[in-house]
Amino acid sequence: MIEMYGVTKIYPGGQVALKDINLKISKGEFVFVVGPSGAGKSTLIKLIFREEVPTRGQIFFAGKNITRLKHREVPYLRRRIGIVFQDFRLLPEKTVYENVAFAMEVVEASTRDIRKKVPQTLERVGLFHKANAKPSELSGGEQQRVALARALVNNPDILVADEPTGNLDPDTSWDIMNYLDDINKRGTTIIVATHARELVDTMKKRVIQLEKGSLVRDEERGAYSK
Amino acid sequence: MKLRTIKYFFKESFTSLIRNRWMSLASIGAVASALIIFGSFLLLSVNFDYILKDVESQVEITAYLEDSVDEAGISELNKSIGAIEGVKEVKFISKEDAIEEFKEQVGRELLEGIENPLPNSFRIKVNDPHEVGTVAEKIQRFVGIEEVKYGKGIVEKLFNIIYWMRIIGMVIMAVFAAVSIFIISNTIRLTVFARRREISIMKYIGATDWFVRWPFLIEGMVLGLIGSSLAIGILAVAYNYLFITVKINLPMIALLPIEEFYNYALGFLGIGMLIGAFGSSFSIKRFLKV
Repeated sequence: MIEMYGVTKIYPGGQVALKDINLKISKGEFVFVVGPSGAGKSTLIKLIFREEVPTRGQIFFAGKNITRLKHREVPYLRRRIGIVFQDFRLLPEKTVYENVAFAMEVVEASTRDIRKKVPQTLERVGLFHKANAKPSELSGGEQQRVALARALVNNPDILVADEPTGNLDPDTSWDIMNYLDDINKRGTTIIVATHARELVDTMKKRVIQLEKGSLVRDEERGAYSK
Repeated sequence: MKLRTIKYFFKESFTSLIRNRWMSLASIGAVASALIIFGSFLLLSVNFDYILKDVESQVEITAYLEDSVDEAGISELNKSIGAIEGVKEVKFISKEDAIEEFKEQVGRELLEGIENPLPNSFRIKVNDPHEVGTVAEKIQRFVGIEEVKYGKGIVEKLFNIIYWMRIIGMVIMAVFAAVSIFIISNTIRLTVFARRREISIMKYIGATDWFVRWPFLIEGMVLGLIGSSLAIGILAVAYNYLFITVKINLPMIALLPIEEFYNYALGFLGIGMLIGAFGSSFSIKRFLKV
């Protein structure tokens, strides 16, 4: 699904975020990206949905080299990727339903599909009963589930999450992880950058560890640290 | 583009217009005031043009004939003058016509019993008032012409003034157009800035640049349209009042008829829409680079 060859990212200020990263993530995998703040986790995530372009090296998404993508081709890459952020990034003035439908409107889905898929997806994250609520009326965990529904509604090949539980308490974090696991079991590739040691240790997924921009460990069924 | 998407664009722009109603009102106010200033200058210069055209068309040459020229000579001269390039119309005024006209002007009794001192003459109109000088010179050269009058000097000065007035008018207009675009692009920039979060989310979801752009373009164009309609309305009322006042108090000044003003209305709507679209696309550019 994703292949990186010799990927190095140096930001304009000269800060080296990633050094010579080589990795391969196959379809259907669940991968944790761990490491301390500033290790390059966010940069790695941003490279996948092409918010950033590597300074050196190549990245392939489903066999296509995305480092050479033209600006106008980027939206079509992003339609295949569901993105979840630490701060949810919901539109505060839209309802839960509208927030999810928005993702489908943006890719010009038909009204019929929207009416069918949005309730289905809300049901999947257990929020159908809150369809008409505004994000401000929801708890943090519920807001993140709306963000999950929004990321999922267009059936992405892959879902990337940057610290999805960073703003949530442990119980709610578990809840979100269980949803992610469930989504993964239905075939979506999942990449999660996280600090949550306990979650990583318990879930026993593939773990990619970054230190100061270098990949220092890549372990199947790994723990947060060795 | 799907009809559904177009509907979505309009829905988005109108919700945003209403949601940011104060900002929208500010934008409309900016468009309207800019266009009112712009329109006032436009009307001023158009009217000035109109009045000057009137003056220009009244510019004519009078060629006085020597008394020795007989009837055959007169018709000869008439033909020759008519053949000069740029001459539109030649009218013969006989001594008798001239004195009649003069009597009309000063009063019949006053001139009773005086021998007619006026010469035969031609009144010549030219196609392009700017050519009065050269045409007059050519007429002067004909045998039998005693004197040619066309307000030498005055006409040239007048044209000089008109020329500069037009240039200054155009410059002022250009400046005001630029100022309007600046005000509007700034106001819409505020709207775009208030929605930068939404834009970045759209980009993350996979919206194309044009998908993000359209609602803002429509919003800008609607603001421009409302603003320019407002400007047209206010200018129409004000101009109508001015027109009537001038007509009553200064009947010798011929202002551009109010109907002519409406010919500019469509252009105004177009300008308003363009300014809005230009302003908003200007403002959104920066936010699309995600």
